[in-house]
Amino acid sequence: MDVTSILDAQKAKQQNVTVEKETPLEIDAGHLMVSDLNPIDEESYNENLEEHLRALARDGTQALLAALFSLPTSKSADGPLAQLPPRTYQLPRQKALPKPKPPTKWERFAAAKGISHVKRDKKEWDEERQEWVNRWGKDGKNRRVEEQWLTEVKRNADPDHNPQLAARHERKERIAKNEKQHLANLARASGSSASGPSSRKAELEKSIATTRASTASMGKFDRKLDGEKKLRGVKRKFDPAERSVVDEQKSALKLIGSMDSDARKMRKAPRENEEGSVNARKAIRFASKGKGAASMAGGETRGKSSFAKGKKGGRR
Amino acid sequence: MLRVIKPKTARSKRALDAREPKEVEDPRTVIFVKGTHTGEVVNGVFKDLMALKRPHAVAFNKKNVIHPFDSATNSSTTSSSAAGSSTSIASLEFWAAKNDASMFVVGQTTKKRPNGMTFVRMFDGRVLDMIEVGVENYKAMADFKTPKSTPGNKPLLHFASELFDTHPRFIHLKSMLIDFFNGEEVDSISLIGLEHVISISLGPTPSTLNDATSMSLLPSTYSADSVQANPLAAVASASFIASSLPPTAATSLAMASASLPKVHIRAYTTKLLSSGVRVPRVELVPMGPALDLVLRRSQAPDADMLKLAMKRPKLKKTDVEKGLGKKRKNVEVDEMGDLRGRVHVGLQDLSKLKGRRMKGLQEERPGKKQRIEEDDGDDDMDDE
Repeated sequence: MDVTSILDAQKAKQQNVTVEKETPLEIDAGHLMVSDLNPIDEESYNENLEEHLRALARDGTQALLAALFSLPTSKSADGPLAQLPPRTYQLPRQKALPKPKPPTKWERFAAAKGISHVKRDKKEWDEERQEWVNRWGKDGKNRRVEEQWLTEVKRNADPDHNPQLAARHERKERIAKNEKQHLANLARASGSSASGPSSRKAELEKSIATTRASTASMGKFDRKLDGEKKLRGVKRKFDPAERSVVDEQKSALKLIGSMDSDARKMRKAPRENEEGSVNARKAIRFASKGKGAASMAGGETRGKSSFAKGKKGGRR
Repeated sequence: MLRVIKPKTARSKRALDAREPKEVEDPRTVIFVKGTHTGEVVNGVFKDLMALKRPHAVAFNKKNVIHPFDSATNSSTTSSSAAGSSTSIASLEFWAAKNDASMFVVGQTTKKRPNGMTFVRMFDGRVLDMIEVGVENYKAMADFKTPKSTPGNKPLLHFASELFDTHPRFIHLKSMLIDFFNGEEVDSISLIGLEHVISISLGPTPSTLNDATSMSLLPSTYSADSVQANPLAAVASASFIASSLPPTAATSLAMASASLPKVHIRAYTTKLLSSGVRVPRVELVPMGPALDLVLRRSQAPDADMLKLAMKRPKLKKTDVEKGLGKKRKNVEVDEMGDLRGRVHVGLQDLSKLKGRRMKGLQEERPGKKQRIEEDDGDDDMDDE
């Protein structure tokens, strides 16, 4: 049997898909990239630019495809998937590398024990009901006892025992516990900067100081225990008994000046009342029972009896 | 400048967490910004590039006063200005933070620089590097009456010219364009889904460039491998060297920049024809926009920022098992794929080793043998 013709045909076909170049083309399959490092052929470039570019691209793509098709493949629904090798050409990142977070308490335990993470689904198969139920969320199994209309209780149960409330309380406790653990993890992760013990100490000392001043006499006459620090209070400063005349004159003039000024403190002085110092505003308010002057103008015959509810009641 | 948002709902918290840095990053979101005067060509180019880059592209509708190369001119003229960034750079940083984008294309047409586009790349919220190009000979995607590829598909990239490996400015351009056209970083790809190729080629290398041999622009320590691994380092250092070159060399550099070959960007859809063998024969049909670019100004990345940007995450165990990572002594991956190590314990003198006492294994003392013989004799006597 003459196989040379078959072999030749095979070779010819192979020739179709191979690309021969001076410098072999560099292929970075990870990026799906092919780099042709041969110098550009000037004649072909000047003759017909588009054709030249197209031919160049075709050769490069052919080499790239040859490399891609020779990669190990895996089957998938959409056809063969080629497993790409790691990238050679490195590109700069967009953001800085993520800082490695310290492992949580559970993660450390799991790592030590060799426990691997098992991914659980939202739906679970319930043998009793023969259907898929949610573990949480809408019609979730975790709320089953709270939401069902009938719950069996033991014969010797307390009459006040409400299984629905008990179940709800339990669930809320679990949530609170999880939240507490989560916060503890976060504190530990950021925690080295807060330096736990010393911050707690400062907190305690602050509360002790507040407690000591929370007595009837503001902590002034309380006996001090051994080991307690001296309470810092506001220090009152008194001027010396004998002052120079100049100083006294200066302070007196200053005081008079501020009394005369438009400063905010001084403006609190009550308005000058003419006509026998009657506070008209207050009088109107009282007489109109809070309704104002307008209501007093011819309003007495209007159906509102004086017995009715005024601000201070009708009996006055 | 941007206020820190505290998430109040689970959805907003998820959105905020999605913006956290990851080990393997998402493709760069590109913002297309138009300057004060754009013109038909730049508008068309923006539309086509956005089509290629969907869905990781955002287009700003309004025109903005933006000049990315502003601070460069500012700092040289005014001596009193502090080393603060110009307002254009500040705008870019603000937009990047707000849109969670890390790449810009700024389009502007002036009399001096017609049909100009500036590619800007960000790292960690700050500008990393910029390249300005001018567009000549633009043919829109709509003018090619051929079928187009599915948007969002990962393109095949093809670079043709040896200058992409040797000349620092083209190395920089290659890095920028790969970052621009790159899609998702994937570990496996469907072989049927390789629909389009973006081909970037240069004109023929002019002889003037060959004389001022490009290798002289790069430090002699850079081999081809290290260029591949960290290409931008070559660019960063080359620009530093260029600024410190003696006058004659500097002028030749300037001359070289004037005669840099043009960049041709073409996009084709692939047609796979069955050949006899497993690898199909590929034919290309022109699809997308056809652009001819001219390199103008550029700003190389700052060396320190670049070092941070090129940091890789530590290799995971799975990668080490695959055989990656630096060659560690006394550790290797055997044929079964297990990691094996060797422990060297040094010379041991086994005679001095103290083990457990086992009577049966002990060496007989010479006196014992005689006694046993005598006993045997006695036993025989007794039995009788």
